[in-house]
Amino acid sequence: MKSWKVLIAPSVCAMLAGLAAPALADVSIEDIVNDATTTNDVVTSGLGTQGQRYSPLKTINADNVAQLVPAWAMSLGGEKMRGQQAQALVKDGVLYVTGSYSRMWAVDVKTGRELWQYDHRLPEGILPCCDVVNRGAALINDKVIFGTLDAKLVALNQKTGKVVWTKEIDDYKGGYSYTAAPLIVPSKAHGPIVVTGVSGGEFGIVGRVEARKVDDGELVWSRPTIEGHVGTLNGKPSTMTGKQGETWPGDLWKTGGGATWLGGTYDPETNLIFVGAGNPAPWNSHMRPGDNKWSCSRIAIDPETGNIKWGYQTTPNDGWDYDGVNEVVSFDLNGTKAVATADRNGFFYVLGREDGKFISATPFVEQISWAKEIGKDGRPVFDPANRPGDPKKAADGKKGSSIFAVPSFLGGKNQQPMAYSPDTKLFYVPANEWGMDLHNEPVTYKKGAAYLGAGFTIKPIFEDHIGALKAVDPATGKIVWTYKNRAPLWGGVLTTGSNLVFFGTPEGELKALDATDGKQLWSFNTGSGIVAPPITWEQDGEQYVSVLSGWGGAVPLWGGEVAKTVANLNQGGMLWTFKLPKKLAEAK
Amino acid sequence: MMRTAFFLLFLATSFGIASAAPPQDPLQSPNWQDMAERLLSGHAIEFDERVKISVPSTVENQAQVPVTADARALPNVVKMIVFADLNPIQHALTLTPGQAAPFISFRMKIEQATPIRAAALTSDGVWHVGGIFLNAAGGGCSAPAVGRGEASWSETLGQASGRLWREADGFSRLRFRIRHPMDTGLAKDNTPAYYIERMEFKGNKGEPLALLEMYEPVSQDPTLTLLVRLPAGDTALDVQGRDNNGAIYRSSVPAPWRQSILAPTKQLLEQGPARC
Repeated sequence: MKSWKVLIAPSVCAMLAGLAAPALADVSIEDIVNDATTTNDVVTSGLGTQGQRYSPLKTINADNVAQLVPAWAMSLGGEKMRGQQAQALVKDGVLYVTGSYSRMWAVDVKTGRELWQYDHRLPEGILPCCDVVNRGAALINDKVIFGTLDAKLVALNQKTGKVVWTKEIDDYKGGYSYTAAPLIVPSKAHGPIVVTGVSGGEFGIVGRVEARKVDDGELVWSRPTIEGHVGTLNGKPSTMTGKQGETWPGDLWKTGGGATWLGGTYDPETNLIFVGAGNPAPWNSHMRPGDNKWSCSRIAIDPETGNIKWGYQTTPNDGWDYDGVNEVVSFDLNGTKAVATADRNGFFYVLGREDGKFISATPFVEQISWAKEIGKDGRPVFDPANRPGDPKKAADGKKGSSIFAVPSFLGGKNQQPMAYSPDTKLFYVPANEWGMDLHNEPVTYKKGAAYLGAGFTIKPIFEDHIGALKAVDPATGKIVWTYKNRAPLWGGVLTTGSNLVFFGTPEGELKALDATDGKQLWSFNTGSGIVAPPITWEQDGEQYVSVLSGWGGAVPLWGGEVAKTVANLNQGGMLWTFKLPKKLAEAK
Repeated sequence: MMRTAFFLLFLATSFGIASAAPPQDPLQSPNWQDMAERLLSGHAIEFDERVKISVPSTVENQAQVPVTADARALPNVVKMIVFADLNPIQHALTLTPGQAAPFISFRMKIEQATPIRAAALTSDGVWHVGGIFLNAAGGGCSAPAVGRGEASWSETLGQASGRLWREADGFSRLRFRIRHPMDTGLAKDNTPAYYIERMEFKGNKGEPLALLEMYEPVSQDPTLTLLVRLPAGDTALDVQGRDNNGAIYRSSVPAPWRQSILAPTKQLLEQGPARC
């Protein structure tokens, strides 16, 4: 009697598990590296590790996009709303999406029904600078991994939503948090690794990039972004970033900033990880004469060792919070392996992918005041009149002279990712036209306290718009077309093989434009502001488009006078999914 | 849920497991049939006075109701669960005794007056159910944990204290407390469910002694009493816990008595069926 009962128990378990969910195959490292070319799933942030946000799908096109219909919408629920900035992922009919307050959902893409939800328990003392957002998760094997506002990395089982492992990135009480989507990268020595950075640039932290084993979260290597700090590899000290004291005065490098809060991209062709490092701390640049490397920089990292292959600094000795974390997108520039990045400082840079060699830098916003141009050597030609005055030289020694700087510290482009179409050979940059009154103040470092040394207020520079989606030709720097939007753009862009550009606005509209001329073809009001990037994929022969709607992020918190343009926008938390029904797609 | 229940029923009948309707509930709970299906299906069920539940006659604090479940009068208990029919989350814990007695004292959140039951599965495949009706005013589960809202819960998270006493029958009595908010996820302020879901008790040489799976109804700062057979020569009992956010808690409770005077204590307990 007893023996067969023991035998039967496991079979009950197995059969019940079989009933519960669609068949899920593991997400392999090949799936990840090939994501840009596979149309039936989206397994990486950026629709491919290079971050082009380009889908080859052509089912939805300029002729039929106006017939897109909502397939379903799912509320993120609860009383907790605020900014929803995540890009969703899709694999085997299941959509994974993260939300505000460190939450995650798995959703059946056919019905919009929730399969599971994970709510991370946050302590009361978290210190996120710019709203309680999350920018997405990473899929690998049977796991889905995301970062939390209390600076933890959490790996969940894709099928159950149960925690497999948790690792503390750093102490949230010191100002650390994590909001970017983790990046999965292949490595020979360690197998697939999960690469993350840190958030907290306003609190005098030191930025770093870390790689962990995906199975258990064990740290493989760590790479600080600020000169003088030593990295680790396999638990031992590895190499120093730069040379201590070379471009930093005194001890300021110890709390030098350079937060890596926007994650990174990976280029399989050169086997390099590209990460942006943020603003130096404090904001008051007079306290830290020198270039302050590698703040406001892009660095290329070897996945095997965590060593820096090359670095390129966009704003040396930054005095405007041109927090240069912006994503580095690999692309082919007429046969040259290149990368492009649209910086907070208003310039669009094209660099050599293998060596970081400067190719070009051109403005992608209408006005730039802090630099006259980027010289042939890749260094900015500063305009000294437009750097905020040294508070030590002020009459009272407390408040330096105020200047009006363009772009504002929220940047010509902020966290919202751009897209690149290999068909049109254009970048689609979600830009903002605004400036700021800025002055410097003396400041000293205190753990867990804001470390700025600056006062500011943001102002629009045009009557009718702040947001401006720009089509940029990377070969010439020319702006091919501009689509103006009243409120600042804060969501990302998606482009497709049928020459469509999808993006959302704070006003709540998900829009489709013609990628060749910027003409609007379709728009849908999602009910709350969109500050997240859309995705597209094919399911059972139909093309879907999905985006999170939920107003929030840094603009309503830091936006100064700009807040007027967004004053009547309400919070939300809704995952909208559209499709072109088969009949309509075939109608033509 | 219906499908699952049906499926189990189908399996039960086709493989000949005793699957008669659960017996009439002496406590006449409206939720008994559902509880029996969800928590006790697949085995015969009988009400048995040898499974004892002790609760206070008057509930002073619905968020901290002391409960003792004791099935030591039964032979060969492989698993014991404690649940409250009329709680919003009914299942409080599951104890897989291994080298422990089928006995546990803990504190529980109670939403309203409810039967509190312990069910002990013996190795012959029968659930023995004991219960008592607890009179209470209500409010323990949907009210936030006391520590919630204070910034301090994260400061004290995982702090543990405990003590072992030697009992005359060769068991060691363990009293153990660990700081944890044990949030139910039901409170109006949207605090997510956050609770220790698993605690393993081992001798300090690594021998597994007992496994305790806990759920949201266990009170904030779980305070537990277990009776374990600490292997001869072990000088401490190790506790490893894991919460539903993946945090791991480790602590060790010293056995303060002189080891040399102990007679060897060894009793083989039967292993339970494989768990899902």
